[in-house]
Formats: sequence, structure tokens, C-alpha cells
Amino acid sequence: MTTRYVDLDVRPVLKAGGEPFAAIMAAIDRLNPDEGLRLLATFKPTPLFAVLGSKGFAHEETEIGGGDWQVLFRPTGDAPSGASPLPTTADASAWSAPVKEMDNRDLDPPDPMVKILAATEALHEGEVLAALLGREPIFLFPELAKRGHAWRGGFEADGATYRLLVRAGAGKEAAP
Amino acid sequence: MTGVSLSRWTMSYFAVALVCLLAAEILMVLGYGFPGAPLEASATLVLVHLIALGWLTLLLCGALFQFVPVLVAKPLHDNGLPLPTLCCLVGGLALLLGGFLELDGTLAIDWPLLPAGGTLLALGFLLVLYNLGRTLWAGRPLPLPARFVTAGLVSVAVAAGFGLTFTYVLGGVTLASPLLAVTAAGLPLHVVAGLGGWLTFTAMGVSYRLLAMFMLAPEQERPTSTAALCGGVVVLLLAIVGGAIAVLLDRDPAPVLAIAALLAVPVLALYGYDVVGLYRRRKRRKLETNSLMAAPALASLGLAALLVVVLLAFGELPRFAGAVVYLLAFGWLSGLGLAQLYKIVAFVTWLECYGPVLGRTPTPRVQDLVVEQRARKWFYLYFGAVWLSTIALLVDQPPMFRGLAVPVLVATVGLSIEFARARRLVDVTASLRLPPGARQPHLLRAFSPKAEVMK
Repeated sequence: MTTRYVDLDVRPVLKAGGEPFAAIMAAIDRLNPDEGLRLLATFKPTPLFAVLGSKGFAHEETEIGGGDWQVLFRPTGDAPSGASPLPTTADASAWSAPVKEMDNRDLDPPDPMVKILAATEALHEGEVLAALLGREPIFLFPELAKRGHAWRGGFEADGATYRLLVRAGAGKEAAP
Repeated sequence: MTGVSLSRWTMSYFAVALVCLLAAEILMVLGYGFPGAPLEASATLVLVHLIALGWLTLLLCGALFQFVPVLVAKPLHDNGLPLPTLCCLVGGLALLLGGFLELDGTLAIDWPLLPAGGTLLALGFLLVLYNLGRTLWAGRPLPLPARFVTAGLVSVAVAAGFGLTFTYVLGGVTLASPLLAVTAAGLPLHVVAGLGGWLTFTAMGVSYRLLAMFMLAPEQERPTSTAALCGGVVVLLLAIVGGAIAVLLDRDPAPVLAIAALLAVPVLALYGYDVVGLYRRRKRRKLETNSLMAAPALASLGLAALLVVVLLAFGELPRFAGAVVYLLAFGWLSGLGLAQLYKIVAFVTWLECYGPVLGRTPTPRVQDLVVEQRARKWFYLYFGAVWLSTIALLVDQPPMFRGLAVPVLVATVGLSIEFARARRLVDVTASLRLPPGARQPHLLRAFSPKAEVMK
């Protein structure tokens, strides 16, 4: 069966400084079971690979010049794609669109970490928070793990902006 | 993707290191060792190793156990191993110092202290290399600062290898002729590998990352940084391998070392250019004490390089080598170490104490753990006294040097008290000090039962 691809160009959104995650997830949710998504972005959207992988999509990325990337997301048939548009809160493999976006790039460390941890306290289980950072928040990860949250992240093509997604867990208490 | 947990024993390394520094400074106030005694005297060897191994090496090891994982974004291979490693290094150092005192008859015993100390130290360094080596290996491809650290670790293996050879020959364990030749003429190579390759090159690499991190400067790898790395490795190879070949061929290694010293100058210039760039492009306009006080340390490195060139030009380097080594050890390495300790102790303590409750309850900021104005006066006193001490050595005035050792000691005591106060949260407002869920950190170790890793 050949996969038909629906096009989504998020480059204008990215160039305007926007966050296209919600649009991508909405497009994924609208796909028919035999459809894939052709995504055009200004960087290699590494964090998305894991997120969409868990929703049953294989990816194939190609650099198309000018720093832009084309990624083909193809349904593998291993997991439902269009059939279940919204994940249930208990589904450990699904990531919903972020309910909060933060730009912490210009904050003095460790303020980005403090603000993200404070914001995760306000999340309900399964809700996702997106944050832009100036560097990989390596000291944040153990604290997220202690609190039972999951995260995905990666550098954008410019190597200077780190895009982090945190999904609130069941609110596990900090280790004693 | 993994996170970096607190290194469990780093505070113990820092504490033992500071004790060794204070002990060495007290000996200097008492006029023990150089410049009151010759460079090659047993008393000077005691002093030099107390500083190079006890203070600088333990400081650097403690810092690397925490920051190599930061450099490569991988957890430390083994968070428990640094404790037995510390025991080997401290035990080995104590035996080594005893062995030096045996050499000149101060200790009138006939125990094989030197080879025992050398062996225990070598074991300690093997454990350091294993733990950090495995961590670096897991973090390939290595970012630039980690490559500097790798070169530094290779250098410490070389320096320890020379040191082990010296202890075996001087302790009478072996009389093999190549080892005798190395012991007779290899001292400059031991110093270059230790002071240049291990301490200086590693500090340069770590400073690229730490300065950028603390000043919010862009961390893109620049061609000048890569050139500094490659040039530095070439200089070290020339000095150590070239010098070793000269020694084994029964030639004087001095010309090779002089060429290497001259070639080191452009390498240090590249590094200086990069570091000035980090200060210029920083986003954090108001400098914190650690970044501000790194500047005189970096200036000391530049001054030492200038001094080497001038002394080489006048053919006076052998006579004033002590002044150059003092400026490198106290102005550059110790100055940078004390300045960064000021930030690292506060940050690590803050993370350990308040990390679990961040976002859940009001917590102090990192800067609330310290009183910068109070610490700055100790730093000014420290650098002022160290620079004057260098001048005292250059004008050959041992009594002046001994008098200046007092303010150096006083400043170090003052800073040590500041570090302990930060660790014990003494300067935090009482209402914020220990919110529910936060625990008072132990003075000497971090509460870190195991590396929390989330795949």
C-alpha cells in the first residue's frame, strides 16, 4: 500500500518565532489511517521523532537546502494514528499539544530550571509544557525524574536553542 | 537522554584540597622550603607536592567528577568510586611526603615510603582515569572542552608515570639504566606534564565551558578554540616526547623545552583571545564574583607566559624558574580554582538542598547563599599578595616573600570560611533557609544515593 502524504509547511510559523507543535499534532490527528505527513521545517525536528514514533509513525528526514528539512512521517500500522485523536491521560506513550509555552532563553541560570519546575507544578497529569532554553538543562533532568515527569528535547539546527517538552507524570514525590 | 546528578564525594575532595593548601601556606609563612631552601631540597619537594597533588590535583579531580558529566551530558560512570580514589591519592601523598623527609634524614627511618607512596598515587590516578575515561567514552563525539580534559588526563598519566619511576629509583627498588637516566634528567618533563598538561590544559578546557555557562556567553566552537587545542597538544607532545627522547639519548632536554615554551605562547594567546571573547559576548552584563575573579587568574597566566619569554631572551629562565612556577601555581591555577570554587560550592549546595522543592515553595536564589562583597575583599588581598610575592622572588628577596605569605594565608582562610558558610547555608535568610522538604546538606558529601537516570 502506498502512503499518501498530507503537506504541512511550518517554516513560516518558525520564522515568525512561533511554536508549531500544536499545529503538527492537529495535522497528525486529522490523518486517515493510510495517510502520512510531509513536514517542512527550518531545522531537523528531532524531538518530534520520538513523540510521533510513540504514536506509530516512522520518519525519514532529508535536508533540502538552506538549512531546511523535509520529514516524511509514515504510519507503521503498529499503533493507532487517526483513530484515537486525543490520548487518554493514562496513556504513557502519547504526548498531547503543550498547554503552556515558555521562552527561557534569556534568563540567568538557574532561573530557567526554577521556572520550568514551578510551571510543572501547575500541570495536570498528562499535560505537556514546551520551553525554549539557551542550553541543555542537564541539572533539571534528575529533578524531573524524581517528580515522575517525562521529557523530550533537542537542539535546533542553529545549535543555540534547546527545545524541551515536559509531560507531567502522576506527581510522584521527590525522593526522600 | 540522561541528566547529571550531584557528584557524591566532590565536597570531600574540595575540603581535603583546601586543608592541603592551608598547610602549604602555613609552611611558607614558617619559611619552610623554597625560596629559603634550594628548589631541589626535600623541604621544597614536600611543599611543591602538597600544592600540586594535595591542593590542585584534588581540587581538579573533585571538580572533574562533577563537571565531566556536564561537559559530555552523560552521568559519571561510577559515583561511588571517587571515595576509594580519594583514599589512595591522600594516602599516597602522605607516604610520598614522608619519603621526601626520609631522603634528607629528617625522618630517620628506613621504610620504603617513596615507592609505597608512588604506587598508591599511581593506583589513585588509575582509578581517576578509569572513571573519567569511561564517562568520556560514553560521551563521544566529544565537545571541545572535553577534548582538552582528555589531553589533560593523558598528561596526568605521563606525570604520574615519571613520578612513579622517580620513587622507585630513589627508593632503591630498581637500578635499570634507562630509568636511572629518566630520574637523573627527567624532572623538567615531570613538571611540564603535571603543571602544563594536566593542571593548565585541563583548567583551560573546563574554563571554556564554565565561563560560558556562568556568564551566559554563546558556546559555539570557534576555529581559534580548535587551534588552541591542536596547538596545545603539539606543544605538549614536543615537550614530553621530544624531551624524553633527548633524555634517553643522553642529551640535554633544555633546548627542546625552550622551543616548546616559545610555541606555547601563541597557543595561550589563542586561548586568551577566546576567553576575552566570552567576556565580551556575555549576556549577563553584571559579572558575578567567580567570573570577575577569574580575570586576575587569567591575567596571571598571561604574565607567566610573558615572563617565560623575557627570561628566555635574557637566558635567566633557570635562575627564576621558581618565580614562574609560583605565579602559575598561585596566580593562575589556585586563583582560578578559588574563584570557581566560590560559585561551584554555592551552586552545588543550592541544587542539593533546594532542588527537590523548587517550584513548590519559595526558595532562596543561588546568590542568596553567599555575600559577594565580603568575599571580594579576600580575593583582592589574595591576588595582590600573590603578585607581590612573585616580584619578591624576581628581586630575590626571600624574607619579603615570607612576609607576603601571611596575607596569602589570611585571604585563603577567609575564603575557606566563606565556602563553609555557603555550604552550611549560614548566610541564607532564616525564613527561607530550610523550607519543608529541604534538607541541610552535609559539609563533606552530597546526598546522592545513585545517579537518577531516565532513558
